[in-house]
Amino acid sequence: MRKNLINHQAEQTEINVSPLIDMVFILLIFFIVATSFVNEVGISSSYKDSNSKSDIPKPPLFFNLPGSGQVMTNGSSIGLEGVAPQVRNFSTNEAPSVIIQVSKGAKAGLATQVMDQALLAGAKAVKLSVDSK
Amino acid sequence: MKLRRRSSIDDEDSAINVSPLIDVVFILLIFFIVSATFISLPGVDVSRPKVQNASSLQKNSVLFALSEKSEIFHSGEIVELSEVSPLIRLAIKDKDKPVVIQVDKWADATVLTKLVLEAKKVARSVSLATLKNR
Repeated sequence: MRKNLINHQAEQTEINVSPLIDMVFILLIFFIVATSFVNEVGISSSYKDSNSKSDIPKPPLFFNLPGSGQVMTNGSSIGLEGVAPQVRNFSTNEAPSVIIQVSKGAKAGLATQVMDQALLAGAKAVKLSVDSK
Repeated sequence: MKLRRRSSIDDEDSAINVSPLIDVVFILLIFFIVSATFISLPGVDVSRPKVQNASSLQKNSVLFALSEKSEIFHSGEIVELSEVSPLIRLAIKDKDKPVVIQVDKWADATVLTKLVLEAKKVARSVSLATLKNR
């Protein structure tokens, strides 16, 4: 038998592939499990540098979010629905920049929705800032 | 030749041809290796705010979460605000990844603002994850 095998070595070139298949399957299962397809949706404002205030060409539109959960602009309370008209009517020729000043106690959900409304109304950039008052 | 004859005698030629199977499995394996990005999830469930013009964000990003109690989460741990920018710098290395913040709608907006400002110091873009508008 052994002698026969050596004699016919040229013909007897099949390798045993079962361990290879086992390994490949294990690797495959590992990578299937480890791959996490995170598919997030969301909003992103396009401000390049939030810290520099000097290079804003036009005066921005301010919204204040006090802790009471209102949306204020120029001292008057507008609802979340009032954000988009404010942004649209702010300037006739150019889309305004919007700064949302949040006070302590304001909810992040509201801030996000105000950002969304402002971007929806065509605001050029939306920036969050903390009201220091 | 010898093998085939023996197997046909032993178990009536019941050996299946496994080469196409191996081919397919290899292709699957290569697909999953290439598509594996190993994103570390923040590890906290947030109730996302509902918005109207949410767009799809880039998949390969650095994830942070802001929980209901205004704690910042990154890869399963609570981190301080001051640790955020070193963590981002470590995570993006030189690959220019964007930062995505999963924000809870009842979190404090001032913490969110500080987190966004902190992230924008080092990251190219900072986005807020929201609900799908559907």
